[in-house]
Amino acid sequence: MSSYVRPLAKMILSAILLAGCTPPASEHLIPFPDKDDPIVSLRLWIKTGSQCDPTGREGLAALTAAMLTRASTKVHSYSEILDLLYPMATSYQATVDKEMTVITARVHVDNLEEFYPLLINAVLHPALLEDDFRRIRTDMINAIEKGLRYSDDEELGKAALHTFVFEDTPYAHPVVGRVASLKKITVDDVRSFYKRWYTGDNIVIGIAGGYDDALIERLQLDIAKLPVGAPTPPGMPAPNEIQGLQFLLVEKDCKATSISMGVPIDVLRGQDDFWPLFLFNSWFGEHRNSSSHLYQVLREAQGMNYGAYSYIEFFPNGGHTHMPTPNHARRQQLFEIWLRPVRHEHRHFALRAALRELQMAVDSGMTQEQLDLTKRFLDKYVRHYAKTAFDRLGYAMDSRFYGLRGDYLDVLRKRLRRVSLDEVNTAIRTYLQPANLKIAVVTKGARAFADSLVTDAPSPVIYDAPKSVKVIEDDAFIQVYPLAVRRENIRIVPVGQMFR
Amino acid sequence: MVTVLIPLLIAAGLAVGRMHATSAEEILPFRFTEYRLENGLRVILIPRPGGGLMTYYSIVRTGSRDEVEEGTTGFAHFFEHMMFRGSKNFPAARYDSMITTMGANANAYTTDDYTAYHLSFASEDLETVVMLESDRFQFLAYDEEAFQTEAAAVYGEYRKGRSDPWESLSEALHRTAYDQHTYRHTTIGFEADIKTMPGLFEYSKEFYQRHYRPENTVLLLTGDFDPEEARSLIDTYYGSWPSGYVEPAIPAEPEQRQRRRVDVTYDGQTQPLLAVAWMGEALKPSSKRMAAGHMLGEWLFGEGSALYKKLVLKEQKVRHLAVDFGLNRDPGLWSVMASVKDKRDIRYVLSEIEKTVALSIQTAPAKEDLTRLKRRLRYSFLMELDTPDHIAANLARYAGITGGIDAVEQLFACYADVTATDLRDAASALLGKERSTIAVLTGRR
Repeated sequence: MSSYVRPLAKMILSAILLAGCTPPASEHLIPFPDKDDPIVSLRLWIKTGSQCDPTGREGLAALTAAMLTRASTKVHSYSEILDLLYPMATSYQATVDKEMTVITARVHVDNLEEFYPLLINAVLHPALLEDDFRRIRTDMINAIEKGLRYSDDEELGKAALHTFVFEDTPYAHPVVGRVASLKKITVDDVRSFYKRWYTGDNIVIGIAGGYDDALIERLQLDIAKLPVGAPTPPGMPAPNEIQGLQFLLVEKDCKATSISMGVPIDVLRGQDDFWPLFLFNSWFGEHRNSSSHLYQVLREAQGMNYGAYSYIEFFPNGGHTHMPTPNHARRQQLFEIWLRPVRHEHRHFALRAALRELQMAVDSGMTQEQLDLTKRFLDKYVRHYAKTAFDRLGYAMDSRFYGLRGDYLDVLRKRLRRVSLDEVNTAIRTYLQPANLKIAVVTKGARAFADSLVTDAPSPVIYDAPKSVKVIEDDAFIQVYPLAVRRENIRIVPVGQMFR
Repeated sequence: MVTVLIPLLIAAGLAVGRMHATSAEEILPFRFTEYRLENGLRVILIPRPGGGLMTYYSIVRTGSRDEVEEGTTGFAHFFEHMMFRGSKNFPAARYDSMITTMGANANAYTTDDYTAYHLSFASEDLETVVMLESDRFQFLAYDEEAFQTEAAAVYGEYRKGRSDPWESLSEALHRTAYDQHTYRHTTIGFEADIKTMPGLFEYSKEFYQRHYRPENTVLLLTGDFDPEEARSLIDTYYGSWPSGYVEPAIPAEPEQRQRRRVDVTYDGQTQPLLAVAWMGEALKPSSKRMAAGHMLGEWLFGEGSALYKKLVLKEQKVRHLAVDFGLNRDPGLWSVMASVKDKRDIRYVLSEIEKTVALSIQTAPAKEDLTRLKRRLRYSFLMELDTPDHIAANLARYAGITGGIDAVEQLFACYADVTATDLRDAASALLGKERSTIAVLTGRR
């Protein structure tokens, strides 16, 4: 490994180093040392997120984080910062979710000394200039008006579902905000948000890889320069109860229909019901995995689309990543089914097929054989969730959020092995009610679809290819599978009005 | 860095393998072994002890570049899907169940130049993986119904990408820039061809016989495994795979003599997108000009470039400036793409790109800027080698294009040698207007 000189670190060399031990994890520190890892990973968790956006200023948490990580500091202009980061091939960025804001960085140990002050200046001394603000705010408005609404129907469908399920709660708006509220935000709003939430007591430092212990000392001293105080987060979100199937149809001149459906669940990591529900979900719809039951039915047998999956925890950016991303911990989760785009003429059929599978799973439960296979699968598969120190650090942070002791993936594997079939099937029946769901659909011809839904019109599917007897037999049931949708439970919104 | 060599036994009776170590000048921070079976199968072993996990890549050096027959655009990608539809020995359900039992993370992707099948799994399952992978590469078997159903899933994959304006832009750009070469179409293929895929069942068998051959395949193993054991397993399971690959005749692209342009209308709202692309050079790892040309992308249009700072940060006329001066087996497109905030600024942004290129032809970069560029290239590469998965994923492209990973060291040695004058000469030779294509995409409303 390359040598690395740390002059400043030597000056503040602490007793910790002399004692030769790593500082233990504390309330504000999560260390993961690995001297052989040439990459140093950093995560600074600020306990705030989009749920803290003031009403009418939705998007402020994300905008503030961007003003730290994609803008000038009091020491350097943003252009200078890019120049300094450039030869190191690194950067720092912020991930903002409902409850967490995390500033992350990965840097080669050779470059740590040069990199460190840039990161610290961003957190401690952001310039919050009008010029940077205009650029970032315009980007965010564009991200809604041109990006979310028009460039990725899959993400649009999912964002629409989350807004629908959590309406009237602080979780309702997308993290990026709403167009009108973004337009109202000023630099002063950013200043006060920063002042309120970016306090020394409100930050947890996570560090992993081949760093030196003195770096921890240095980080703690620097973060302690922020004002004291830990603000109180908003209360627990209380989503409205869902009765019947409720639809949000987003009318859009699109080429295929995207469908997402879900129901809020308050089962979180560490709770007794979490492990059985986790097992069920993996069997029913493990993300982008052909072992998933839904995938086998909708894609493998019916060729309906590119895939279908389910979730019991928020899974961002699912179209582009295979494994879950840490630092989206929340006090309120969602059971969600995601059908990748289907042909418009298959939308009613695909929806029926998915709901029927869910109903059958609730009615019949999993079999012992399915449970055993899923356990064997997960026992090894979950090891792929976090392969890098950067990921493991993120998971450790989430465990802190959930009050979970020990390494989450270790705990998960141990707990999953002990789950019984009865526990799984009880959990399915307790938390999943296929008749009471919210469903977001991005489609062309929403009114006609609404009519078909309300009248439970048959939706026969015509395949391009011959199908097996089993598929044909199932289809006969699926195409008339009753959904009992009430007209008043369907809302149609033109895409241009989404996230206004 | 590891500097001590640990001898590795080379099985008798096979083609000679080579052991690669690392030195201070080299970029790869690990040692590896590369060898060839008698049937032509190339194997690269990169042991990285610890962690209990490993990654297994089977790289077929066939991609959308090899789709030479009329009406078969997108077929290499479609065929990648069929590789998951089972074999004589392991029908799809059995294959899926075995992968599930192993808790492996298994997937595949297709590019313009190659197709990669990859699995990450617990090292104790290595033999099962070698058995399953070697089996589907030799004895794939699926019926017409499965074939047609999968064609529908591929059409679904096409549909999911259609709302992305960048995909429309890229499709138009390639179609315009090439007359003859198969880079004319993108990897997913043209919609008309995807629609007719269900009728190509017989062709799919021929495709398999032609392309899925040992001489056209590279195995790349990284992670926590015993290289001797891996070698022995690979000999056993792949040794009898018959060779017989016949290279397709890829039509050469005639030299471009005039700038081209295409305008695309996108169905929906989007920021206008502008692309300027030049006919690049094929990956020739020992060619300084190719290396210099490759560096130009980062130098002229990357996040540290003067143009980025002007258009994105200062004037704020451009939201994203994306650069792709990629590595390809044949001359690919080297492009810069901008999402322009206001339609009226497209012409201005284009003129700024042209000015940047003109300046690079006249003026060589300052020595310290070149040093910074080289340092960035080095750390960009090193930062992405942190797990067996990432190592394999990053090296797969080199293996797919050249058949091995020696190209990495050669290319980085070339980067190190490139002078400011080389960069200027490369710009002069490669970034002329007559070698370029412009594509502009605007929204309908």
